[in-house]
Amino acid sequence: MSLAHRTPGRILVICCPDLLAGPAGPEAPPPIAGPALAPEPPPAPGELPAGPVFAQVVAAIEDFSPLVEVIAPGRCAISATAPARYFGGEQALLTKITNAITALGLACQSAIADGLFAAQLAAQAAPPATATQAITSGAAIQAAAPEPGLQAVTPNATAQAVWPEPAAPATSPGTPPPPPPASPVAAAQVVTRRATVRADPRRAASASSRAGARAASASSRAGARAASPEMSPPSPAGVIVPPGGTPAFLATYPVSVLEVPELSSLLPRLGIWTLGDFARLPAAEAASRFGAAGAQAHRLARGLDPRPLIPRPPQAGLSASREFEPPAELSEPVVFAAKSLAEELHTGLAARGLTCVRIRVEVTFADGRENIRLWRHDGLLSGLAVAERVRWQLGTWQTTPPAPSGLPDHSAPHGPAEGGPVVGGIVQLRLVPDQLVRDTGRQLALWGETVISTRVARAATRVQAMLGSSAVTRPLLAGGRDPAEQVTQVPFGAAAAPVLPAGRPWPGHIPPPAPATVYDPPLPAQVTGDAAVPVEVTGRAAISAPPAWLSANGGPWLAVTAWAGPWPVTERWWAAIAARRRARFQLVTEDGTAWLAAVQDGQWTLEACYDLLPA
Amino acid sequence: MPQVTALFPDSRSPSSTLPAPVVPALSGVRGVPGDLMGPGALPVLPALAGLLPAGLPRGSVIATGAWGLLCLALAAAASGAGAWCAIAGLPALGVAAAAGAGLDPDRLLLVPDPGSSWPHVVATLLDGCDLVVLRPPSRPSAALRRKLESVARRYGGVLVIAGDWDGAHRRLTVTSQEWAGIGSGHGRLRARRAQVAVDGRGAAGRPRARWLWLPGPDGSVAAVASSGIGTFSGPAAGSGPAAGSGWAAGSGWAATSSWDPGEPGEAPPWPGRSAG
Repeated sequence: MSLAHRTPGRILVICCPDLLAGPAGPEAPPPIAGPALAPEPPPAPGELPAGPVFAQVVAAIEDFSPLVEVIAPGRCAISATAPARYFGGEQALLTKITNAITALGLACQSAIADGLFAAQLAAQAAPPATATQAITSGAAIQAAAPEPGLQAVTPNATAQAVWPEPAAPATSPGTPPPPPPASPVAAAQVVTRRATVRADPRRAASASSRAGARAASASSRAGARAASPEMSPPSPAGVIVPPGGTPAFLATYPVSVLEVPELSSLLPRLGIWTLGDFARLPAAEAASRFGAAGAQAHRLARGLDPRPLIPRPPQAGLSASREFEPPAELSEPVVFAAKSLAEELHTGLAARGLTCVRIRVEVTFADGRENIRLWRHDGLLSGLAVAERVRWQLGTWQTTPPAPSGLPDHSAPHGPAEGGPVVGGIVQLRLVPDQLVRDTGRQLALWGETVISTRVARAATRVQAMLGSSAVTRPLLAGGRDPAEQVTQVPFGAAAAPVLPAGRPWPGHIPPPAPATVYDPPLPAQVTGDAAVPVEVTGRAAISAPPAWLSANGGPWLAVTAWAGPWPVTERWWAAIAARRRARFQLVTEDGTAWLAAVQDGQWTLEACYDLLPA
Repeated sequence: MPQVTALFPDSRSPSSTLPAPVVPALSGVRGVPGDLMGPGALPVLPALAGLLPAGLPRGSVIATGAWGLLCLALAAAASGAGAWCAIAGLPALGVAAAAGAGLDPDRLLLVPDPGSSWPHVVATLLDGCDLVVLRPPSRPSAALRRKLESVARRYGGVLVIAGDWDGAHRRLTVTSQEWAGIGSGHGRLRARRAQVAVDGRGAAGRPRARWLWLPGPDGSVAAVASSGIGTFSGPAAGSGPAAGSGWAAGSGWAATSSWDPGEPGEAPPWPGRSAG
């Protein structure tokens, strides 16, 4: 089997239209708008608390398959292959799941197709099943049986005949000739085809679907197709696109469902209105003309996975493992072995031109326990970096009291307190590449990106190994009104954006020069006037007395020689938690030190110190 | 074929269109790390050139007496020229002040709390970074100091200590300072005029002192022009801008602590006026 023609697995998509974010999500074409099958509008969005209810839906689906992927609130997917075998076929599975969800009192659209893209579209085309139409398995099949045109119970050969493969029409016998090249609206042809297809129900579906697709506008295309009289009403239990029928199923959809804005506007101008038209383009031409996004969209239109996958699971030869005999009681030899194992793994991957998205580190202990963790790799980690991940996984990074926030720390059940002994002993360490992809390399930006030399990175990761990953940070200048807000600390090696965006005016911020010492949290302080009475600031920013004495953090009283303020700051009055109302001062004390002080609710604090004079 | 030779001049016949002069031109540009690769010294800001005419010699330890903007000013030029700086033991560092002084936050590693094993952390940082600013969490023993000094020498890094360090090659201290722009209930902090004194070991360690804007009105560090000194009547008065190296060495300015910066009643020179 060639790489490029691998079809994706069977995917079941369940969609609860009541719980979707909007009546028609921006990313999805409107579900069904045809007149014949026009569903009742979903209940008002305020009626159902979408989050908890959808959690019930996911829980119900988890009874069928534990691996539920939530695509969006209200929409989720499972792999249908194994559950269909267990529950006695795809139709039975669909019926059972639909019943389980309608039992919760929700409407539900479901579909099974090859690949997530087609399954999502099919689910949107499926009629919503509600609790009132209690479906039995037999009823569902019977409902589908009299009209074999669109529905699932047709075997593969029939389905292919129903939906002719646009790419190879001559190879399948009994298929109608491909429709003429796309003219935007071929009304006459539609009429004649409608007239002829009545005699031939097999031609009916394809012709009417194509006719509907061409005639209808982009938004209502799916609805028109489903609503045309020749189409069988889909069964209440959902839509099943038979295996191999995905290209034909997709062929009638407008190109706008690809959600590539450039293509959505460009392709119709080129006379390519539907996915079928698009899929008929040679793949190489699509890639050269429309770029990587076009190539990916072209694969979707052909019913393939958006990205070529490796057609075999990761072979044992690509993983690397080391056994420890006797069991390693210390983590150091394991980490040391991890480095050479990672180099071995990378060499094996590089020899095949591959890289992995994630790397799975499996640690087996002498008592049979296993510690497995997936680490994001993206082809960027060196052998040393992988070894550091192993070290973190073994928990030896817990040598410092501050818990590293950048790391999930719950999966280190045996974290030794002082970096060395591992409880139980390790008998095997195995590194398995996960999600193999082609190694396309990594291009650094020519400008605007600071290149971290290996020397700096090595030093930083070594300190991280000693103190934890969040102990070494790189500062990121941010916005904000306080000196403490104006920087975001990012752990070395992580990527983050400033908490508050820089480059905005931030009225009320402290003008330069910036203080060299910033207290976060602010230091408590006491400021009094000459009469030893604390200085207060009224709501109209009037002070009770000029500040004369300052005691910082319980320290000695210092005379204030110069001061400025008060500068009232009222922040985020619209948010109850984040709201602050302060008055700020700049104070210079007798030792020459300048302070940035603030008073809030009668409490004085020192936010920053401009410079301390050495004693 | 003459066309080909004209299009692709080989090295044996250098053409005038070859980009030969680009390399020396680039190496002098700030931000190109080529001028850091040498074994000599890290650059310092022009304002500090009078105090440290040789820059920051690689492998040296510079003590600043206490944490302050002076530590950042020492690191600013090297960071701006492409060096990586690490700052350890300073959880309250104001990064905005560092950026204002001239440090590049993109090339800054912060280790706010190096913990009890801080000598190991500092040694590791010296391996990776050209300059490490350290406030020692505890007073180091003499053996530990010698060990860290040898680490700095081995890796060619510069260790700037925000505190005291016996045996430092240079010791810079702010001996006197005065804030400008703020009065009693009016104005705001605009700039600080600080007198920085340096002494140190060896022949290059002659005591000197300079008046600096630390920081200036925009956060940067600059030398106080002689006209900005106002009422000061020192050797620098009338001798042109003090930003250069016009001060005579050994002219008795080592006694900086006893020097009165000015009359207290005199209004401090306004930084904007002095700059203009």
